[in-house]
Amino acid sequence: MAKIEDWLTWALSPTISAILVTLIFSLTLPVLIHYYLYKRAVARELPTFLLLGPSGGGKTALLTLLATGTASPTHISQAPQTAICQLPSTTRASEDQYRSENDTSSRSQPSILLLDTPGHGKLRHHAFSSLTSPAAIKGLLFVVDSAVLSSAAGLTEAAEYLYDILLLLQKRHTQGKTSKGPQAIPVLLVANKQDVFTSLPVGLVKSKLEEELGKVRLTRSKGLLDSGIGVEDDDTDEEGNWLGEYGAKTFKFSQMREHGVEIDVVGGSTNGEGEDPGSVHECWSWIGANI
Amino acid sequence: MLDAFEILTTSGIVLWRRHYAPLSSNVIDSLVRDVFIEEKQKSGGAENSAPSYKKDRYTLRWTSAKDVGLVFVAVYRSLLHLSWVENLLAAVRGLFTKAYGQELRKPHTLKVDTAQWNPMFDALVNRLDTGSTRRQSDTLDSEGPTELTPPSSSAGDDAHEPPPVPAPLFKKPAIPAKKGVVVDDTTSTDATPVPTPDTSRPATPGHAASHILTAKGGPGKASRRSRKGQTFNTSAPASSGDESSAGRTLKGSGKNATKGKRRWDIDGMAVEGDDDGVLDYSAPATPGPDTADRELDVSDVNTSQMGSHTGKGQFVLKDLDDEVDAILASSKQQSTSTTTTNGEIATGSGLLNTATSRLTSLFRNVVGGKTLSKSDLQQPLQQMQTHLLEKNVAREAAERLCQSVEINLLDQKTADFTSIDATIRDSMTKALTRMLTPTSSLDLLRDVSSTTSGPGARPYVISIVGVNGVGKSTNLSKIAFFLLQNRFRVLVVAGDTFRCGAVEQLRVHVRNLSALSQREGVGKVELFEKGYGKDAATVARDAVAFATNRDGHAQVQGQGMLYDVVLIDTAGRRHNDTRLMSSLTKFGQLANPDKVFMVGEALVGTDSVAQARNFAKEFVDTKGKLRNNGVGMDGFIISKCDTVGDMVGTLVSMVHATGIPVVFLGVGQHYGDLRGLNVGWAVDKLMK
Repeated sequence: MAKIEDWLTWALSPTISAILVTLIFSLTLPVLIHYYLYKRAVARELPTFLLLGPSGGGKTALLTLLATGTASPTHISQAPQTAICQLPSTTRASEDQYRSENDTSSRSQPSILLLDTPGHGKLRHHAFSSLTSPAAIKGLLFVVDSAVLSSAAGLTEAAEYLYDILLLLQKRHTQGKTSKGPQAIPVLLVANKQDVFTSLPVGLVKSKLEEELGKVRLTRSKGLLDSGIGVEDDDTDEEGNWLGEYGAKTFKFSQMREHGVEIDVVGGSTNGEGEDPGSVHECWSWIGANI
Repeated sequence: MLDAFEILTTSGIVLWRRHYAPLSSNVIDSLVRDVFIEEKQKSGGAENSAPSYKKDRYTLRWTSAKDVGLVFVAVYRSLLHLSWVENLLAAVRGLFTKAYGQELRKPHTLKVDTAQWNPMFDALVNRLDTGSTRRQSDTLDSEGPTELTPPSSSAGDDAHEPPPVPAPLFKKPAIPAKKGVVVDDTTSTDATPVPTPDTSRPATPGHAASHILTAKGGPGKASRRSRKGQTFNTSAPASSGDESSAGRTLKGSGKNATKGKRRWDIDGMAVEGDDDGVLDYSAPATPGPDTADRELDVSDVNTSQMGSHTGKGQFVLKDLDDEVDAILASSKQQSTSTTTTNGEIATGSGLLNTATSRLTSLFRNVVGGKTLSKSDLQQPLQQMQTHLLEKNVAREAAERLCQSVEINLLDQKTADFTSIDATIRDSMTKALTRMLTPTSSLDLLRDVSSTTSGPGARPYVISIVGVNGVGKSTNLSKIAFFLLQNRFRVLVVAGDTFRCGAVEQLRVHVRNLSALSQREGVGKVELFEKGYGKDAATVARDAVAFATNRDGHAQVQGQGMLYDVVLIDTAGRRHNDTRLMSSLTKFGQLANPDKVFMVGEALVGTDSVAQARNFAKEFVDTKGKLRNNGVGMDGFIISKCDTVGDMVGTLVSMVHATGIPVVFLGVGQHYGDLRGLNVGWAVDKLMK
C-alpha cells in the first residue's frame, strides 16, 4: 500500500525524473495508438474486385484461377463467394509503378479480395447490392462467354446485364451528393473462353456489345416506367436514365469516361490448359494497375 | 450403376467429383438451375428420402448440407433403380462435412484438398452398393468383380485400389501386413465359392475399406483422417462376416471402441436380429494365421487415435456400418443432433436447467449466434405466414414460401445482434425477390422490332386471356397505346365473339386511340372484327393473315405487312369450366401468338393460384407440349393494382403457381397507366 502511495506521490512531485517520464509517456502514447489503429484498418479492408456477368460466362472458374492458380470445374453458382488472392510476382501493382526494375529490396505483393456473384437472372440482386454497398470496390470484372455472344439471345442477355451495371455506375457518379464525387470504378470486360472454336475475337466482342448496348438503351428509354417510380419520388429525368452521352446515336464505351467509368476489354480463357497463361496475365495486370 | 457423383459448393465450385461415365456438365447445371434457383420442382417434403430430378436419360438425387453450403449430387441412368444411392448420399454428407466442414466454414475457402477423399468414397460405395451391383457390376470403374463374387484374385484387388495417401505413413510395416490379410481373405472365400449371403456380399468391400483406411489411419498430421480411418476399420465387422475377427481383436484392445461398437450393434440387432448371429459364428471360422497380422494393424490404429476420439467415432461407425435403416436414422439424427442439443439439454435435465436454458436462448435471440432449430422457427414463421396471408398471398403460396425459408434457415446460426424475426424477414425478402425476379427480363419493344424487321419479317402477335371482368380489353388498349407511342402499326382483333357489347367496347377504344395517335402523329391502329358468334380461333387466324398481307391486297403497294403488331382480345372464361377452357388450346394453335399474357386482378385472393394454373396448362402445341418451354404463357398482367394498396400478394400467388413472370401492372384508369414490375417495390410492399 505504502509502495503505491509512494509512487503516486513521486509521480506528482515536481522532480525532473517524474516530468521526463510523464513527457515520454504522453508523447509516445498517441503514436502507439495511431499505429495500432492504422495497422488494424489496413488489415481489414482489402481492395475489392467484383466479378459480374451472365450465367455461364466463367466467373467462378476465373475466381478459382486467380485465387489458386488452377481453374476448378464449376457449375451454376447459387451464392456469392469471396476469395483472397495475392498478386503474382510478375505483375506490378500501381503503387509499385515508380519502383526501379533493379530494385532488389523485397516488395510484398498486395492482396485483393475477389467477390464472385451468381449470374443467373434471378440472383443478380447479390451483384447489385454489393455494388451499392459502402465497401471499397476498386473495379468490376464483367465476364462474358465470347462464344455465346455470337447468338442473338446470348448477346442480348449480356448487354442487358451490362447496361444495368453501367447505368448504376453512371447514376452513382452523377447523383453523388458530395462535390468530389464517389471514387470511380473501372470496368474490365473479360471476353472469356477464347479457346472455344466459335468464340468471337476481342475486338468483335467489344463492337458487338457496344452496338447491342445502343439498342438496349434505345428500347429502355422508350419502355414503360417502373412500378416503383412513383414511390421513390426520385423524378429521374430522361437524361439521367440515358446511358452514356445523351442524344448520341450510337453507344461507345468511351462515352462512359465522362461519367467516370473506364472500360477496358481483354480476352481470356480460364480453360487454357497451360498454353495460354497470358489471358489471366492481362486480368492481373489490370487488377494490379487499379488497386 | 452410378454415372457420377459430385460434391459442389453453393457458389458453384466442384470440390470433388467422380465420373464413372462421361457426363455433360449440363445435367448438373440444369439441376441447379431448375431446382435450386428457379424452384420449378417442389422439393420433397420428407427429409429422409433424397429428392430426385430427371434430366435427359439421367436421374439425379441430391442432398445438401446447408451449414457448410454443400450440395451432394449422385447421377445415374433413369433405367436403373438404385435405392442405395440415398444412403450413399446421407453417408457422404455426414462424412464429408465431418472431414472438411471445419475447413469449409472458414471464409474465402475455394478448395479443399480432397485427395484423401477418393479411397474413402470408394470404400463407401463398395460398402453401400447392395442390390444393383449384381446387374451392372461391370460398369463400376474398377472394383466391379470384387462385388459379384468374393474376389478372385487378390492382386487385381490391390492393383485397382486407389493408392493410399503418400503422405507421412507413419506405419510402413502395416501395409505388407494388410496385404497379407487381403490375400488370405480372398483365398479363404475362394475356397468356399458359395458362401452364405451374409458373409459374401459386403465382405470384400468392407475389407478393402479397412485396408485402405488403416493405411492412412496413422499419420499424425491429420487427426480427423485417422479417426475416420479407425472408424472405418471398426465399422467393417458389424456387417461383414470375414472381418469380424478384426472387430473382435479391436474390441480386445480398445476398450472405448468396444463400448461404442457394441452399443450400435444392439441398435442393429433391434432392427435385424440374425445378422449378428452369423457374424459371431463366422468370426472363429475365419482362418487363424492372419489374425496375428490383423491384431498388428488394429493395435497400430489403436495406438494412433483410438481412445480420445471414440465418442465422435461412433457417429461415423453408425453411418457406415449398420443396416440401411440404421444409416438413414443415423444421418437424420446426425443432421438434427447439432440443432437440438439445446433442446435436449433442456428436456433432459431438471427444471432449473430448463429455466436457465430458456434465459440463455432469450439472450441469444438478442445477441445473435443462435443455432436455429425447428421449434425456434415455428412461431415466427407462423407469424410470417399470417403476415403474408394478410397481404393477400394465397395460402398455398405462403405455406410454400415459409417452408422454403424454414429449410433455408434450419441449422443455421443467426448473425451477431440479429433476432430470429429479423433473420426470417431477411430470408423471406430474399425468397420473394428470387421468386418475382424473372429469369430473363422481357423487353417487348425489342422483341417486336426484331420480329417485324429484317428478313422473315412478320407481324408480332400478342393475345390476352383471363377470367371475366379482370380488365382484358382495358389492358389490351393500354398495351396498344404503349405500342402506338413507339410508332408501331397495331391491329386490334375482337376475339370476344360471345359477350354482347364486347366488339363495340373495343371499337370505342380503337376510336379513342386512333384519335390520340393522329394528334401526336405516331402509329396507327385499326379494329379487326367479324361480328358475334364466329369461332374466335378462326377470327384470330384471319386477322394474322390480314395483317401479314399474305394475299397481297391490291390497294397496298409494296411494303408487305400491313400491321406490325396484332393484339388479340379473347372472351373471358371461368378457369374451372373445361368446355370453355378447351377452346383456348385451339386458339393458341391457330393464332400461334408470340406472346400470351394472362390478366389477373390484384383483388382476387386464393383463387389466383387456380386461375393461373388452369390457364397456363391450356396452351399446348400440336405435340402436346406446353408452349414457351413448358410453362404455357409468357407473362401476367396484374390489373387494378391501384385499388389494393399494399396487398399485392396476388403477384406472388400467381408467379408461385406457375413460374411465369409478371410483366405489366395496371395502376390506373388511363391509357398510360401501365407499368413494368419493379421487384424491389413489390417486395417492400409485401414485407411492410
